[in-house]
Amino acid sequence: MIRSISAQHRFWNGMRAVGIALIALFIVIPLAYIVLISLTPDTQVGGGSLWPSHWAFENYAKMWSTVHLAQGIRNSVIISGLAGLLATLVALGSAYVLARFQFRGRKTFMLSLITIQTIPSVMLLLPLFVIIVVIQDAISIHLVGRYFTIILTYMTFALPFACWLLYSYMSGIPVDLEEAGSVDGCTRLQVVRYVVIPLLLPGMVVTFVFSFLLAWGDVLFASVLTSAETHTVAVSLQTYVSSGESGGDVYWGQLMAASLTSGLPIMVIFLIFQKYIIGGLANGAVKG
Amino acid sequence: MSSPQVPLDTVGTAYTTAPPGAVRRKRMSSWQRPPYWMMLPSVALLLIIVVAPFAVSVYASLTKLNQYTIAHWTSAPFVGLENYADAFRQGNALGASALQSVWVSVSFSVVTTILITPIGIIAALLVNKPFRGRRWVRTLFLVPYVMPVFVNAIVWRMLFMNGWGLIDQVLATLHLASKDTFWLIGPRSFWAMVVADVWSSWPFVYLMVLAGLQGISSDLYESANMDGASPVRGFFSITLPMLRPVLGLALLLSTLNHFNNFTLPFIMFGTPPSPQADVLPLNVYITSFQTFNFGLGAAMSLMTLILMMIPAVFYIRMLRLGEATS
Repeated sequence: MIRSISAQHRFWNGMRAVGIALIALFIVIPLAYIVLISLTPDTQVGGGSLWPSHWAFENYAKMWSTVHLAQGIRNSVIISGLAGLLATLVALGSAYVLARFQFRGRKTFMLSLITIQTIPSVMLLLPLFVIIVVIQDAISIHLVGRYFTIILTYMTFALPFACWLLYSYMSGIPVDLEEAGSVDGCTRLQVVRYVVIPLLLPGMVVTFVFSFLLAWGDVLFASVLTSAETHTVAVSLQTYVSSGESGGDVYWGQLMAASLTSGLPIMVIFLIFQKYIIGGLANGAVKG
Repeated sequence: MSSPQVPLDTVGTAYTTAPPGAVRRKRMSSWQRPPYWMMLPSVALLLIIVVAPFAVSVYASLTKLNQYTIAHWTSAPFVGLENYADAFRQGNALGASALQSVWVSVSFSVVTTILITPIGIIAALLVNKPFRGRRWVRTLFLVPYVMPVFVNAIVWRMLFMNGWGLIDQVLATLHLASKDTFWLIGPRSFWAMVVADVWSSWPFVYLMVLAGLQGISSDLYESANMDGASPVRGFFSITLPMLRPVLGLALLLSTLNHFNNFTLPFIMFGTPPSPQADVLPLNVYITSFQTFNFGLGAAMSLMTLILMMIPAVFYIRMLRLGEATS
């Protein structure tokens, strides 16, 4: 009996090792190919050689000058970072009211948040552009191509999910502490600042990361609402591909080097916070 | 600013002479009033950046808005439901008809969701119990999900390149297909898109299932083990039923996300894509910004929205169910 259980254990451990190995291969092969191509001279990629004749580390040097990669990454960090931060703070206000008070229209508001998430973003692109131009003409301040405009756009797109996420976190925090704060004479803002925010920090981190990801990954709005100075890294990489579409050569080696470089910051951020994120999804999704 | 402070001050001293109970009641009642101003920024932003453009788009779908009328877009000729009728007719020179795109989008979201669900569940089960190096495996499993979509699309575009892409080379070496399979154009482009998407989106199901697994008590497995149930039996009798709510949510969100996927086919195939890979959002983009038929584009995206509302309504129903039970 005991032996059969340990044999069973060994069998399932073996199965687990095989399963993990298979999935790991599925993940790693494309990644390894990216690294390989990023070190292959541009001229050899199209020839179909699987192994480069020499390691083309120069791809990592040339990519900075072929497109404005450094500028793109800097812009992406500024835009995604601020959009994530502002979305988290603005959503915090809404989530606080939604989680702590019963009022008319509360349910309608929460349902409309879900509805807004289902609107296809392509549908909003042109009208949003028109509205921004109308506002721009009305106040005679240039808005298209400004950081301000694209940051506000991304933070608004991130808001519905951010509100829901923070709302589910807030529901898990007992209200007693805030009441104690109010009896002690704290103002509303002081209670939020000194009681709610410290308790909600893990949830806020998750909200920030997801909002940041949304802004970092967008191509559609960035290509219309940013100018040459405020292009995000997604638009910079597009330049490589579109040069191929217009008949030129695509610098695949450099493109892969640049893709790796632009994907790296976000991977690092996500992986640093991964514990919070799995816990956060457990909190938010399961209770939903 | 300084002069009105004087009367306020006297009001303040007047309160302190009142019985203490009155002060507390006053404070508590103001405390219980929702601070609506905290919601103001969210509401204002959503109104300006989402709701107003949406309303404009609904109006535009009823007009003949194109590159000739866009300059005076408020006075574009009103055509009623003509755009909606057009959407169902033959496609234009640059792409598939809206009806075909609906079909492509629906099959894309259903096929990918069906494919990523078992992968996600299996991956979550593999790393649920502690073992040496589990942290690293969990990290590795998240990598595809974290990779930005535009990077993913570029990479798979390269992997599927005709003649020299890795996939063509491997398939040719194994004598499974010729080197000139043409994955990025024609009927196979749909499957190229599915493969690229499965690679990057299965960790979503994995994350949700992993989160759900944390809510299942180990007592259940122990007692099942006592009763002599095999792990396979345990999976079908305990794990799967307990995961049902999370899994339902994951499948719905996945279907919705895939339906709205624009970036992947946009970068993987460029514009215009083959009709077999012409998903609805991409078709809307081409109709609006390459053939400049904004009215038709708006009508098509409204149709997308209505289609997406079907799973969304299920989702909302489920949330209500959750409220009733808790």
